[in-house]
Amino acid sequence: MIFRKLYLFLFFCICQSALAQHDSIHNLKVVEISDLQLKDYSDSQSVLKLQDSIINKNQSSLTSLLNYNSVIYFKENGLGMVSSPSFRGTTAQQTAVVWNGININSQLNGQTDFNTITTRDFNSIAVRAGGGSSIYGSSAIGGSIHLNNTISFKEHFSNTLRLNYGSFNTFGGNYKIDASDGKFSVQMSVSRNSSDNDYEYVDSDGKNLNGQYHNTSLNAAVGYKINDANFLKLYSQVFEGERHFSLIFPSEIPTKYQDLNSRNLLEWDSFFGKFVSKVKVAALSEKYKYFGNVKSDNYTFGQVRTYIGKYDLAFDASDAIKLNAVVDFTQNKGEGSDIKNEQRNIGSASLLFKHQLTQKIGYDLSFRKEFTNNYKSPFLFSLGTKWAATDFYTLKLNGSKNFRVPTFNDLYWQPGGNEDLKPESSYQAEIGNEFRFAGFKVTLTGYYIDIKDMLRWIPNGSVWSPQNTDKVRTYGGEALVNWSKSFGKHHFMLNGTYAYTVSEDMEKKKQLIYVPYHKATSSLSYSWNKLAVDYQCLYNGEVFTRSDNNSRYNIDAYFVSNASVSYDFGKKDSWIVGFQVLNLLNENYASVESRFLPGRNFNMYLTLNF
Amino acid sequence: MKKLNKFFLMLFASSLFLASCSSDDSSPNVSLGQYDNGMFVVNEGNSTVTTSSITFISNSGAVEQDVFRNVNPGAAGLGTYLQPMFFDNTRAFIISGSANKITVVNRYTFEFIATISTNLENPRYGAVANGKAYVTNAGDWMTGADDFLTVINLSDYSTSKATIGVWSEKIIEENNKLYIANGYAYGDATSITVFNPVTNNVETTIQLGFNPNSFEEENGILYVLGSEKLAKINLATNAVVGTPITISAGAKNLNIEDNKIYYTVDTAVYAMAINATVAPSTPLLTYQSQSQDGRMYGFAVNDGKIYIADGGDFASDSKAYIYSTTGSLLRTITVGVGPNGFYFN
Repeated sequence: MIFRKLYLFLFFCICQSALAQHDSIHNLKVVEISDLQLKDYSDSQSVLKLQDSIINKNQSSLTSLLNYNSVIYFKENGLGMVSSPSFRGTTAQQTAVVWNGININSQLNGQTDFNTITTRDFNSIAVRAGGGSSIYGSSAIGGSIHLNNTISFKEHFSNTLRLNYGSFNTFGGNYKIDASDGKFSVQMSVSRNSSDNDYEYVDSDGKNLNGQYHNTSLNAAVGYKINDANFLKLYSQVFEGERHFSLIFPSEIPTKYQDLNSRNLLEWDSFFGKFVSKVKVAALSEKYKYFGNVKSDNYTFGQVRTYIGKYDLAFDASDAIKLNAVVDFTQNKGEGSDIKNEQRNIGSASLLFKHQLTQKIGYDLSFRKEFTNNYKSPFLFSLGTKWAATDFYTLKLNGSKNFRVPTFNDLYWQPGGNEDLKPESSYQAEIGNEFRFAGFKVTLTGYYIDIKDMLRWIPNGSVWSPQNTDKVRTYGGEALVNWSKSFGKHHFMLNGTYAYTVSEDMEKKKQLIYVPYHKATSSLSYSWNKLAVDYQCLYNGEVFTRSDNNSRYNIDAYFVSNASVSYDFGKKDSWIVGFQVLNLLNENYASVESRFLPGRNFNMYLTLNF
Repeated sequence: MKKLNKFFLMLFASSLFLASCSSDDSSPNVSLGQYDNGMFVVNEGNSTVTTSSITFISNSGAVEQDVFRNVNPGAAGLGTYLQPMFFDNTRAFIISGSANKITVVNRYTFEFIATISTNLENPRYGAVANGKAYVTNAGDWMTGADDFLTVINLSDYSTSKATIGVWSEKIIEENNKLYIANGYAYGDATSITVFNPVTNNVETTIQLGFNPNSFEEENGILYVLGSEKLAKINLATNAVVGTPITISAGAKNLNIEDNKIYYTVDTAVYAMAINATVAPSTPLLTYQSQSQDGRMYGFAVNDGKIYIADGGDFASDSKAYIYSTTGSLLRTITVGVGPNGFYFN
């Protein structure tokens, strides 16, 4: 039924588009990224954009990039192992990862393992803090991470090859070709990362055993300009990785884990009058295999195939008013050794509205409702306003209702899955203040989130089963600082973040475990002619590991810093050779109890642009 | 991490305990070590390494937390998901599921002796027979067909394997035979394996008709409890005697003390005469628990007292309770994370 209406609608669009007049420069700008809402409907929230210049200076895992450049706190089970975020004190399932506009959190466990995303596959990565479920669906409670590929039809041709090699036999390679003749635009890349990862612990005889990993990803973003008003785009990605899970005790049974994820999105953008229409179809697949003993061929697995059809129609009613309607239909088919084979269908409709009242003040509204038989879905909304009071000061206010839906594991795990679950849901509000002066941009944000029906697996006899039990209140403040200045050929850039986070279990009245009260990051870059020097650091406050907040067992605070120097030897093209010292101060630290991270280690890299 | 383990010593009024001091010790006047007169509580912990610990409660009432780390600050940790401890005359054996190893200590001084880490794959329970230790192993959790015993030579801690081939969980020694319950937390077999340590082979398998969760021998009879049944096996014939008694669902923690059978259902303790043919309908006592999973996580009856460990939330220190056999609460003691049993020295 939904589809028949869609076809009628599409037919209407095509007729319209043939007659339409268009502004082709505007169209090319719109076509560049798929996730249009990130640009158009995020004014009242804080968005931190990390462009490829920053991506390239960091290590290749999404964990490392965001750990050193954002307020998000990470728990990492040893370097390269399973990594889960806590954004604004929320759980790993309450941060959405959005790939070219599509939510890619696992349908099985509801989260993204940030060590299974290679950052070099993307042109820009954005961190959008706060609620976003009315646009991005499940999990956008703490915030969302946006992985974007840019498709540019400006004529260009470039190749980039990056190789790095360092301690523990760690290798990274990435090759990217980016080209367009104005009609076609092609961006393709391949990445490979591997490491023996057998680092020695600082100040101890221990060694990271059974921690080796490797992964490969292929990425493509291809655009075809049919005419000035019609564009076809294809985004495609395959990630394959194998990690041995590191041991705490040498006597443990070594295990390993394999991931195979593929993502494909086909999009047709069409412009007519004041409308922009986007038809999207996507096919995603995620699969894991867990080997409980590396010596055995036996494994457990889970797999979900997802098909998405989406229609997105944006309408610029006037220079000041934008409207955007999105309907989508998602089908997930799950199977696995421990879950019931099930299929679930979810339809959703959302409406977004933005009104710029005067040059200085505007507001936006968004609403979303999902329709499914699998769980009761709440009505979601977001209301926000932005007031650019002066050149110096901007005020942002936002309130929203968001959710995190039960996963396949929650619903269908055998035994124990509970098919009678509600989504976790949150009401939240934030106030943002932006100051600009003397090359500085400072953002101060305060937020409050009230989350109910948090899912927790509780034993029921000998079987564990999820229930909607916990209530959590989280509030805190974030500061982002950005400063850049040039003195002749000397360029300086400073970025800093700080987060204060209280995340409290309402029943126990205790701080949640593994949520630090304090986290801060800073990076300083200096360049002169072809020489560049970078320094970055990370401070994580101590965290509780016990639910009664017994401080005897806290994980100590740590301060880790990295330094690098690079020089561009190229004349016409760029030939950059760089050297990095990671954990410069040889800090003995762990983000998860007993999962020690490496001491001082080294890395060198070569980047060729031609 | 860097923090030194603090030595926690809580002294309580000892009058309660002085009156009921154990009289079982063969040489009550000679102390064999700091931990000679009292009991250990095993706190199994969770996936976090520092959560596992051993608590000592002396007969005079003093409580010491984290005994192993206090005595052996330089030794490798015990691992977590600690399983019930077992003993020989001088040693205690502490099994860790996560570390896949067994730590051997002096049972009276708790000084570290050795680590056993060979021929183990998800070790579960242990017993000593014929001068050797025998530890059940789940192997691959998905199947009971690969379950086996680790046979440990107690003079040099060398090991070998003996195949059982069916879910193997709790194990006890009686009259130089080993009896293995074919299921509890893992496995749904409905039998008891009899293993002969002299021939190193399975001697026979006794069919029960229900999944056993706890058992104890008394006067040549093996009493076996399942969730809804209690059976008696004559060990002279390896045959089930009569028809099993029907018990309320959820029964576990069988203990026999002073000719009485004790068991628990949810938060209640029941007691019946050893020769009773009908299960009691009213409990001896009921305790309060906020735990969603860890009710009666550890249970023992010893020397006229009932010991209950509450699992709590498995993420913070929990409680142990001591009751009289008439059901009055004598004492509440804070122990570690996930306390799962009491062991008397």
